[in-house]
Amino acid sequence: MQPYELSLAAAADAIRDRRLSPVELVDSVLDRIEKAEPHLGAYVTVAAEQARRTAREAEHEAVHGRYRGPLHGIPMGLKDLIDVDGMATTASSRVRAGHRAAADSTVAARLSTAGAILLGKTHTHEFAFGLTTPQTRNAWDTGRVAGGSSGGSAVAVASGTATFALGTDTGGSIRVPAALNGVVGLKPTYGLVPRHGVTSLSWSLDHVGPITRTVEDAALVLTALAGHDPRDPASLAVPTVDYRPGAGTDLTGLRIGLPRTYYFDHVHPQVETAVRHAIGQLEALGAQLVEVDIPMTRYIQATQWGLMVPEAGAYHEGSLRTVPGLYEEDVRILLEASELMSAGDYVRAQRSRTLMRAEWARMLEDVDVIVAPSVPMPAVGAGQETVTWPDGTVESVSDAYVRLSSPANITGVPALTVPVGHDAAGMPIGMQLLGRPLGEPTLLRVGHAYEQTQPARALATAA
Amino acid sequence: MSAAELTPPEAARWAARAGLDLPAERHAAVAAVANHIHSVVSVLRELDFADVPPAAAYHPVQEKHDAAV
Repeated sequence: MQPYELSLAAAADAIRDRRLSPVELVDSVLDRIEKAEPHLGAYVTVAAEQARRTAREAEHEAVHGRYRGPLHGIPMGLKDLIDVDGMATTASSRVRAGHRAAADSTVAARLSTAGAILLGKTHTHEFAFGLTTPQTRNAWDTGRVAGGSSGGSAVAVASGTATFALGTDTGGSIRVPAALNGVVGLKPTYGLVPRHGVTSLSWSLDHVGPITRTVEDAALVLTALAGHDPRDPASLAVPTVDYRPGAGTDLTGLRIGLPRTYYFDHVHPQVETAVRHAIGQLEALGAQLVEVDIPMTRYIQATQWGLMVPEAGAYHEGSLRTVPGLYEEDVRILLEASELMSAGDYVRAQRSRTLMRAEWARMLEDVDVIVAPSVPMPAVGAGQETVTWPDGTVESVSDAYVRLSSPANITGVPALTVPVGHDAAGMPIGMQLLGRPLGEPTLLRVGHAYEQTQPARALATAA
Repeated sequence: MSAAELTPPEAARWAARAGLDLPAERHAAVAAVANHIHSVVSVLRELDFADVPPAAAYHPVQEKHDAAV
């Protein structure tokens, strides 16, 4: 096994025990980038020399007995919405030409302090306003979409060109690409991870979180990211927690909500089969299944759009007037149309969110976790715009990929996607675990227990 | 086309009221997308909100902002 193939936890153990040096690990991942990146297009920028220099410093610290913790010497990618001092934050957009961040975002600073080593910035669907990330190709089949908007981060982690990465999630943008590329993605509770220095798509829906190869890895990254920062007005003042899950797999006493409505409607049969099989594994570990009815399903898309579209329009108001031609057409037209929405539309969506949060809180009194597919279908071919369901319903690919993710953005509850298999074409399938606000320890415990019942997953093979 | 839908010239006028000048060749496409968004979000009018307040994320303690006033 090459160092670039190691999970974060395995690499951390090897670095701590001095069996692997940060320099060896970073060199291995950079070599992998050189080979795979021309086929995948996951990165906007690779800062190879800076990464090698930081790795030498991390090695020097390790040699002299200064070990920062499990992220010490671990190479990572950051979605290119996340500010790093002195580097451009391009948002994968021509609008940001010449940009240079004046300071680290909170998350970049925390990861740096924890010892992680920046490899580069990963592609996003332009300004995170889309679900495919057309610059990047799926890590399992380069003819298919990466998913988005954190497509570059998910493809990098899946292909071995980053040991972990960060994404952002406004309507599924961590979970969708993670599921489509067969890796783990965590959208934390709204406000748990500070967004200061992260380009916004929609302030009231945006989250930052890890994309990793295992659930345990996601827990290690979350531990470094979480914690209050007053510069993000939504940031929660909660105590710091070590999120690393215990080794046990016994789920006796855990109540798992199995949706009777919404989450299994218009879902590809192979996705449903794989997810229901994984749910059976959780039951075999002792969890009790309890059927639940998802509330207010008729209003989910309306609430998501009613919040996201005007907030995105407000963020881009200035540049839409000065440099509209620099946006890609799909993003530009949504921003233009956003200006025609009324204040009433926006306030209704905010009031609907109040109702939906209350209904979800009631539902989550009865169960510890809700389990569902992450996305309704595996990665589609690049350029495919719609999907037709067996009852004749035609849905846009973007609407389909957002559909099962957005409830957690609207309500702010944490949501974790875990790989649970592949379809007949070899494309990955993800299972979504949703929990109570600040219920990350439970999600991570369940996801980690499931993973321990499965063989270790190999890296993606398309490049 | 229902009376609630914007025609391309109306979309251009609404955009202009918002301070956004749309080139003529974009009027029809922007109207179509705006009408689609409207058809999605207008379903929220079915809800009886009674006294339910909007959910907003803010801190009661004032933060410092960089923007000039």
